[in-house]
Amino acid sequence: MHKKRDRKILSHVARNWALLFLICLLILFSILGKNFFGLRNFSNIVLAATTLLLLATGETFVIISGGIDLSIGFVMGFVCVVSAVVMRDLHAAGLPQVISITTGCSVGILLGLIPGLINGILIAKLRVPPFIATLGMWGIANGLAWRFSEGFPIAFLPPRVRDIGMAYIAYFSPKTGLSFFSRPVLTERADIWNLMKIIPIPVLVIAILLVIFAFVLAKTKFGQHTYAIGGSVDAAERAGINVSRHLIKTYTISAFFASCAGALLVFKINMGVHTQYTSSYELFAIAAVVIGGASLMGGKGNIWGTIIGVLLIGTLNNGLMLMGLPIFYRYIAVGCILIVAVLIDQFFPELVYKE
Amino acid sequence: MKRIVIGLLCVCLLLSFVAGVSAKKLKFAFMPGIADPFYFTMEKGAQAMADKLGVELIVGEFPKAWGPEYQVPILKALVARGDIDLLFTAPTSTEALIPVLKEIYDSGIPVITVDTYLKDGDYSKPSNYSFPLSYIGTDNFLGGQVVAGAMAVLLGGKGKVFLENTNPDVSSVMGRENGFRAGIEIFPEMELVGVEYCLDLQETAAAQVSAALQKDPDIAGVFGVNVFSAQGAYQAIASAGLVGAVKIATWDATQTLIEALRKGEIDLILAQMPAEMGALCVEWGYKHLTEGAEVPKKIIPGFFVFTKDNVNDADAQQYIYK
Repeated sequence: MHKKRDRKILSHVARNWALLFLICLLILFSILGKNFFGLRNFSNIVLAATTLLLLATGETFVIISGGIDLSIGFVMGFVCVVSAVVMRDLHAAGLPQVISITTGCSVGILLGLIPGLINGILIAKLRVPPFIATLGMWGIANGLAWRFSEGFPIAFLPPRVRDIGMAYIAYFSPKTGLSFFSRPVLTERADIWNLMKIIPIPVLVIAILLVIFAFVLAKTKFGQHTYAIGGSVDAAERAGINVSRHLIKTYTISAFFASCAGALLVFKINMGVHTQYTSSYELFAIAAVVIGGASLMGGKGNIWGTIIGVLLIGTLNNGLMLMGLPIFYRYIAVGCILIVAVLIDQFFPELVYKE
Repeated sequence: MKRIVIGLLCVCLLLSFVAGVSAKKLKFAFMPGIADPFYFTMEKGAQAMADKLGVELIVGEFPKAWGPEYQVPILKALVARGDIDLLFTAPTSTEALIPVLKEIYDSGIPVITVDTYLKDGDYSKPSNYSFPLSYIGTDNFLGGQVVAGAMAVLLGGKGKVFLENTNPDVSSVMGRENGFRAGIEIFPEMELVGVEYCLDLQETAAAQVSAALQKDPDIAGVFGVNVFSAQGAYQAIASAGLVGAVKIATWDATQTLIEALRKGEIDLILAQMPAEMGALCVEWGYKHLTEGAEVPKKIIPGFFVFTKDNVNDADAQQYIYK
């Protein structure tokens, strides 16, 4: 009787180790890090994690279906540059800001779906291994983004872009009370510093997207089919699932999230930027998905786990920075945790999966 | 009739003599590093000096991207015309350009490297890369010190500062970092509380500066070594509502950054002097070839510091890269 209960607890621990580890880190950094614990810093962590959150959510669909998408970092860079160029040129042509901005975003996101569609067709119809197909797209998106930006940041965007990217839903200061969308005017540095800022606009946008797609993955037929294909393509085909159509949709979803990340990046940084380091994002996205409990073999994982994975990486980076550790330790730490994630998955499958 | 013919012949003779003199006009070739405002400005400065001295300036096509694979073919085509008296160029690799430039030098064309250099840029000791006449360009270490000094002036000589760098493996930005560190140390009441590397990702820079502010909420100044780190710093500082309270210094007077300075997003820009560099190349090359002047092995043209007080001054406009 006891044994069964112990086993149940152990199983819970193994299944939710990432969440437990995140809680441990929060406690540890609150003790060791300078000014770690507090609304402002947690808000910093979440805001810094938004790009990765979007990329990792798209990647979750792909990884559950048994594939991998290496192109998302550069697709994001491509969309960021294209959106910014459109916004800048329309703004310079004298169009109203609302039109310049919405056209820029729409054009960027629509063009950003194309690489996903091509990835899907290559993988599903032409049987190109996902690693190779998306690696090819990695190069193509990089080249195109480079071509559009010519290696320079694209500035002189409509001023509203920055206002939107930096706004919060609400602000609270003991002096001015609660105000929505517009930042209260404060003069003392201490007051400014202690102004409570509640939910940045980018986080709100992402939260809506995540809820929708978490629902799609967990509760709909589309979600079930994704797991089924990741579990076994043959079985899924025998069960009457149109596998190739489903895979094309999956890679398009991944590109959609990368495109949203790219468009959002324009608002966050108020420029269109593409550098060669943009490609470091997809690797961290894949790491976050795996830390969140997905398996590269496919068939396992969920959005909730991915969110934990992203927050774990973000918290680790932020906390180690506040402890004053140099940057290279952070890479080492993320690397170690990734390996631990896979080891837990390998050695305790009977605990991680429901019997 | 005969007289007229003789007269005409005399005129022709005279004209050909004049033409002969003008054929001796010096031809300098300039091979830029990449198509960007920095090198465009350098070309303008060189052209102005060339016009003044009566030198013909031949400019190679501006490479679309940075790297020897783009630069070398254009460079080879440029010198292949065979009538060039001097070459000044920004080598896009400290290693790969050594044999290429050596070959040009051996064919009898003196070489000056401008803005970037071969190996460590020290041509004063004999070595396989010491053949250039001179290195004319920025000293990043010195520039970092100038930024530290200007920052100290802005902050009244006291306070905590933070450095947002890009890549720990690039010599130019590391030079700026080391110069800034050394410069801040001169001021006893100033303290450098941290250095981060954002790998040219502005979003990362913003997260890092946010965290730095979280750790030390009384930071008074941030030095972002290039456009990405400076704009990322601005993003973090604006998000905290501290624009103006935390000063931002950056490097290179591109129009993007000058615009940011005008809008009050950043407070200080260190401008290199690309026009001056181009002019110095032509001037020293001319002196060397006509008077046999000994060219110093390293020439640093100095800096210009932009703040919001002088950014609209008429005589400051020449230092903006266009």
